[in-house]
Amino acid sequence: MQATTFAALGEPSRLQIVELLRTGPLSVGEISDALSIRQPQVSKHLRVLSGSGIVAVEPVARHRIYHLEPEVFEQINDWVDSFERLWEVRLDSLDTYLNSIRAKPTEDGSEADG
Amino acid sequence: MITQLFTKPKTLNFERTYEAPVETVWRAWTQPDMLRSWWGPKKTSIPECEIDLTLGGRIHVVMEATEEMGKYQGTRWPMTGTFTEIEENSRLSYDARSWTEGEEAGTTIHHTNTLTLSEANGTTTIKLEVSITQIGAKAKMAAFGMKWGYKQQFDKLKELLERRT
Repeated sequence: MQATTFAALGEPSRLQIVELLRTGPLSVGEISDALSIRQPQVSKHLRVLSGSGIVAVEPVARHRIYHLEPEVFEQINDWVDSFERLWEVRLDSLDTYLNSIRAKPTEDGSEADG
Repeated sequence: MITQLFTKPKTLNFERTYEAPVETVWRAWTQPDMLRSWWGPKKTSIPECEIDLTLGGRIHVVMEATEEMGKYQGTRWPMTGTFTEIEENSRLSYDARSWTEGEEAGTTIHHTNTLTLSEANGTTTIKLEVSITQIGAKAKMAAFGMKWGYKQQFDKLKELLERRT
């Protein structure tokens, strides 16, 4: 994961913009109106977001329309999935471990059941 | 509300049943020498493992990639947390963060963990709930929940683009 992705999403206004763009692609003006953030500020935030690959821009008629780029979010999802897999592996490994110590003397000298 | 999707933590739930008495399973989770025997996946070692089993006490475990991991050899993945609930042989909670050493800003994941244990006929069932509350320095987010949002939004984009032509 990119540190810049987290930094970009860590700013409350930018996170709001990302939330808003979830509903669909929008122009700077529409974002500005919806969030009551001044247009220059919105543009600044959008530059940061596009710099880290979170949004991209598409010219539609005379407007520049911003939309979310799925890749970053897929990466975050993959990352969470890997966290989940790690736990699956770990809990299976606990099973192997518990079987291996069964009927053997344990740490404190007591005898485990089995 | 969209906002709620972003503030809701991502929760993972696990359940396992082990052929062991609850006291043994509890010790496997709370005694460093036992925990380090199973905590790391294959090709990792646990060079550091400290557990201060008191409320507010620290749990600190470091996984390290062994030689078998090739180019990743020596990569360290620490987890540091604080116990928030301790009921011997029954319930254990801790808040923690995990990261890749040297890449903290880009890899930190905050999570709360609750383990419940119950024994029946000599077998122990554990339930583990892991909630990911935050990633990165301050991005409290459930961007995780965004997956299903893609299609809808790309359909809209397509529509817009088509309207142009």
